[in-house]
Amino acid sequence: MSHGHDDPTLHPEVQMSTSRGYFLGFAISSVLMLVATFLVTSHSMPPFGLLMVISACAAIAIIAQIYFLLHIDTSEHNIWNAVALVLFMPLFLITIGLTWWMFSQLYLHTMIMPGMPAMVH
Amino acid sequence: MLVDLAGGWNPLVGRLAWSQIPYDNPILAPLFVAVVLGALMLLGLITYYGKWTYLWREWLTTVDHKKLGIMYIIIGLVMLFRGFIDGLMIRTQQAWAVGSQSSGVFGALHGYLTPFHFGQIYSAHGLIMILLAATPLLVGFMNIIVPIQIGARDMAYPYLNALGLWLTAAAGALIMISLFIGDFAHNGWFGYAPIFELQYSPGVGVDYWMWTLQLVALGTTLGGINILSTIIKMRAPGMTWGRLPIFVWASLSANVIALTSFPALQVALALVAADRYLGAHFFTAGLGGNLMLYTNLFWIWGHPEVYFVILPAFGMMSEIFPTFSEKPLFGYVTMVLASIAIAGVSWLVWLHHFFTMGAGPYVNSAFSVATMLVGIPTGVKVFNWAFTMYRGRLTFNAAMLWAIGALFLLLIGGLTGMMLAIPAINYMVHNSVFVVAHFHSMLMVIVYAIFASVIYWFPKVFGFKLDEFWAKTMFWLFSAGTALVFVPMYMLGFMGMTRRLDYVFNTAWQPYLLVMELGIVVYMFSVFAFFALLYVSIRDHAKNRVGADAWGTSRSLEWITHSPVPFYNFAVVPQINARDEAAWRRENGLEHIQPDHYDDIHMPNNTGVAIILGGLSFTLGFALTWRIWWLCLLSLIAIIALVIYRSFKGDPGYILTAAELEKMEQEAIRRASRIDGGHHLRPVRGDGWAQERADLPAAGTLYGLSSPMDHHK
Repeated sequence: MSHGHDDPTLHPEVQMSTSRGYFLGFAISSVLMLVATFLVTSHSMPPFGLLMVISACAAIAIIAQIYFLLHIDTSEHNIWNAVALVLFMPLFLITIGLTWWMFSQLYLHTMIMPGMPAMVH
Repeated sequence: MLVDLAGGWNPLVGRLAWSQIPYDNPILAPLFVAVVLGALMLLGLITYYGKWTYLWREWLTTVDHKKLGIMYIIIGLVMLFRGFIDGLMIRTQQAWAVGSQSSGVFGALHGYLTPFHFGQIYSAHGLIMILLAATPLLVGFMNIIVPIQIGARDMAYPYLNALGLWLTAAAGALIMISLFIGDFAHNGWFGYAPIFELQYSPGVGVDYWMWTLQLVALGTTLGGINILSTIIKMRAPGMTWGRLPIFVWASLSANVIALTSFPALQVALALVAADRYLGAHFFTAGLGGNLMLYTNLFWIWGHPEVYFVILPAFGMMSEIFPTFSEKPLFGYVTMVLASIAIAGVSWLVWLHHFFTMGAGPYVNSAFSVATMLVGIPTGVKVFNWAFTMYRGRLTFNAAMLWAIGALFLLLIGGLTGMMLAIPAINYMVHNSVFVVAHFHSMLMVIVYAIFASVIYWFPKVFGFKLDEFWAKTMFWLFSAGTALVFVPMYMLGFMGMTRRLDYVFNTAWQPYLLVMELGIVVYMFSVFAFFALLYVSIRDHAKNRVGADAWGTSRSLEWITHSPVPFYNFAVVPQINARDEAAWRRENGLEHIQPDHYDDIHMPNNTGVAIILGGLSFTLGFALTWRIWWLCLLSLIAIIALVIYRSFKGDPGYILTAAELEKMEQEAIRRASRIDGGHHLRPVRGDGWAQERADLPAAGTLYGLSSPMDHHK
């Protein structure tokens, strides 16, 4: 009756984990975070370019973490996780995107422009 | 300390002090005495009858989804009662404190509640009704019904299920204790920035509010994960997606919403906590904070949440109408698509809670159109229900009456919702009691569906029907109360009365407020009728026993197992042959067929870990509220250690042998045949009749041989 469930380390999700994968995931995200931190502290780029570069760093770090740390791929055991992630993406885009849109419109109408002297306390 | 605290603080008891106990409050002090005496009496009775072992073994440590569901429903009903009392107090204050000539008692200038106390009452009323009454009641029903409807023996994660319940109970306990120690938030149930910031709300009220919400959000998220996994992985053989009962579809779409949206609430509240505990400036008025960002984050969760509570109610109605119309549900596929569409659109409409923020015509128009889109799938559902009843053989028993009441309220709430979806109208009635009347109409849909379900599924869970007379009396009293309270409220909304008034300046509104007070008194009589309903039904339970198919016209799978449902749900996992399996078996004369032999089944063990974790979470919430840091640390470490301990220990479960199972089944069958009278429950093998018909599957395929615990290995 109780076959297969006794040893949790035999689960396919656990079997997929390797120390190389975890190390790579950790290393990639650490390097990207250090790069972003360096760019912000050194003021070596114009604000818009800086925003773009750190956003790109964040995006790559997210992908690396999803792949190396969470092991989300299209294999038979993890397809449900991948489906959940894909279904979650639109929600992420909707909430962040519409929030950005409504607040940019709000600032337009209330004349609070980001970077205006009035906003600096 | 990163922030300046008003009042004292000491390392041992944090902000606690004797002065925080409102023993001088003329309302709370007698209530406190009554609660203590009531609790002592209850504990005394349990001890006197020697029921502690029974309580611990059968209920407090249980992982049985039905018992957990019953406890969810009990918590929900208790909190519904507390929320109702809050409502009664609000109505009484508003009926009393009208005009400058109105009298005042208990330290209030007008009426009997000071503004600060009144603010706490409406905040608690909203939070309790939505998150600690409606949500546990619905989660309770999903817990009980979903596994039986899909032919599973239990939830996918029985221990997680218990944990979800005890976290919800911890949240309920936290908000209840705020009555007697300290005070509660006065910022409305959803909170406003910056009033909940530390400098404007220096007391512990906001902290109680915040940690209560966090706990209930965590519990509900865990419950959502469990219900989703159960529906996806634990269906009986033959239970394809196209045969899933509609309540299961509704639960599926609702819990997708819960799983995706509750984290947004938890993040928003964590940021409030950062402001209040760490001195951050996410939502402060200055220093780069953004007030409206809180409102935005809250409603990103808040709007999906209202569909999380309405979708299971729709699912309940979709089960009840076909049963008492003796017809299959009209438009099954469109019903499923409508549920999923509502779940999807629920993510696109949240700005309509703050149209008046001033985001401008483009943003408001887009969200207005998105909001109106919700009307399409909801309309599809309403027409499907109407067509289900059309030319049906209708039985107007109490469950059906409540369900029809829900339909009418949905119409009123839905149409006023369409009005509010138009920004131009919204600007006119924003913050008025018109809005309050609208969302109460919608929440009443849920309450009506819940009472319909209590009556409808009670015989399945307890094995006897509720008394029809008292159920109908309660329905008519409740409906009269609803009309008397909310019709004048809509009218007052149009007259410009704003919400949350502790003092009503316009004496012309008094007649309406008095009618509403009468309405709430009628509601109180319906509460008495509910108590009478329970008393009479339990007294006469021997007369009202029912067999597996309690209503004789039931349709979905839960009605083929015994009433009350045995703890293993199905002795042998049934093979599903049709969308409405119970109706299909009945129509083909197969409803009395029983399996001819049994196999061992694997069941999960009880565990005390869940209730201990619930207790520790309550301690953590209480310690965080009062800033008792050593207790926070201690309870947090204990929680983590216990979770790790339980993870390593695991649960091998136990085996219920075929012989024991057969004995229990024979007993249940004997009991059922005494109720059914002439009917004989026939074993599958040796029954020639069913197998003679070529259009039916061989009777041997009615019960599969594997149990769900085996089948997902």
